[in-house]
Amino acid sequence: MVDIRRISTNRWWNKKNNWGLFVFLSFLFFVRISKGSLYKDFYFLISKPFWPGQFQREVLTKSVEQEFLISLKQLEKDNRRLREILSLQRLSDSESIAASVISRKNGSFWRQIILNKGAKDGVEIGSFVVGPGGLLGRVDNTSLFTSSVKLLTSPESQVGVWIERIQIHGLLVGSGNDYPKVIFYNKDVDVKVGDFVLSSPASTLLPPNIPIGIIQSVDEEFKAKKTANILLLGKPQAIDWVQILKVEI
Amino acid sequence: MGNNLKKKISLISFLLVPIIYFWDPNWLEFLGVQPYWPLFWLLPWSMIYGSFDGLIIGLFLGLILDSLNLESSFTQIPGLVLCGIWFGKLSISNNVFVWHFRFGLISSIASFFCGSLYFLQILVKYSFDHTIFLYLPSIKNIFAQVFVTGLLAPLICSLLFRLFKASKGRDKLISFIDK
Repeated sequence: MVDIRRISTNRWWNKKNNWGLFVFLSFLFFVRISKGSLYKDFYFLISKPFWPGQFQREVLTKSVEQEFLISLKQLEKDNRRLREILSLQRLSDSESIAASVISRKNGSFWRQIILNKGAKDGVEIGSFVVGPGGLLGRVDNTSLFTSSVKLLTSPESQVGVWIERIQIHGLLVGSGNDYPKVIFYNKDVDVKVGDFVLSSPASTLLPPNIPIGIIQSVDEEFKAKKTANILLLGKPQAIDWVQILKVEI
Repeated sequence: MGNNLKKKISLISFLLVPIIYFWDPNWLEFLGVQPYWPLFWLLPWSMIYGSFDGLIIGLFLGLILDSLNLESSFTQIPGLVLCGIWFGKLSISNNVFVWHFRFGLISSIASFFCGSLYFLQILVKYSFDHTIFLYLPSIKNIFAQVFVTGLLAPLICSLLFRLFKASKGRDKLISFIDK
C-alpha cells in the first residue's frame, strides 16, 4: 500500500517542477510561433510613456510636403512617358497611417524598427514605410499593436530602383551599415555623384518614384557590374515619426 | 514578495532579455553598434548552472531572439548554444579584479564568436552575389560589438552573477538538472 502511494506520488505529472517546465516550454513555443508578438505588444505597453513628442510630427509634416512636391513633379513626367503603359504598382487610395518608432535596431547586422501601429490599425505586411526624406523600408511582420519594418540598410533588403536622370534600373542592397549600395548590371552606366535614386517603376514591391537617396560615390567596375554608394534621404537612426502606406496591385 | 522575487530572478531576468534587446538604448552605442545583450545573461547563468543547462538555455535564447528579428535566413542559435556550453565549463575566480576582468574578456571573445558565426551565414547565403559589399561594414560591426560588450560585461555580468548565485537552488523551474 505504501509502495503504491509512493509510486503514484513519483509520477511525473504529480511533480510541480515538471508542470512549471511544461508551462515554460509552452511559452517558448508560443513566442517562436507568434514571431515574438507577445513581447512586441508588451514592449508597446511599457514603452508608451516614452514615445516621441509632437515636435517630430511637425518636422515630419514639413518634410513630407517637400517630399510630395518632388514626387509630384516626378510623377507628372512619368505619367507623360508611361501614358500607354500599365503601371505594375500604384499607391492605395486610402490614407496613410502615421506611426511612431518605439524600438530601433539600426546598428550591427540587425536593422529594423518597430512601430506603434499594428494589425489592429490596419497595417499589412508588405506596406512600405516612409519618413521625412523618403523610403525607409517595408513592413515585414505585424502583431496586434506593433509592426516591424525591415530597413533598406538590412543585409536582407533588396529593392528595385532607378536613376531618373539616365533612366537606368539597378538593385538597391543593404550592406549592414548606413550606406546601402546600388548595383547596376551594366558597367557602362553614366551614373554621377548627386544623382537621385528613386524606386523603380518596374518594381513589383513598391510604387514607382518614391525618393530613396542620392548617389554619394561610384565604385570601380567589377565583373561587368557597376556599384554606387547611396546616402539615404530618410534617416532611420533619427526619425521618430513615420508614415505607413499600403501598396495596391 | 521580495523573497519570492529573489527565487524567480533567473526566470524574470531571462524573460526581460528580449525587452532589453528591443530597447537598445542609443547612449550605449559605439560606432552605432549596441552590445550583444544575451551574452550578459548567458555568461553568469551558465557559469553557475553548468554546460548542459548553458546549452539548453542558449538554445532557448536563440529561439526567442530569432523570433524577434526579421532576418529569417540567419540564426543566432549556434553561437549562443556553443557559448552556453563554453561558459558552463569556466571556473569562478576568487580574485575580484581577475573575476571582473574575466567577464569582460570572455564576453568579448564570445561576442566575436557569435558575430563571426552570424557573418559567416550571411557570406554563405550571398556567396555568389554581392558578398564583397558586406566585408568592411560587417567587420566594423563585429569589432564595435566586441568592444562595447567587453566594456559593459564586468558591470552587468558580475551583478547578475551575484543575483543568480543567491537564488541558485531555490528556482528549479529554469534549472533543468537537479544537481
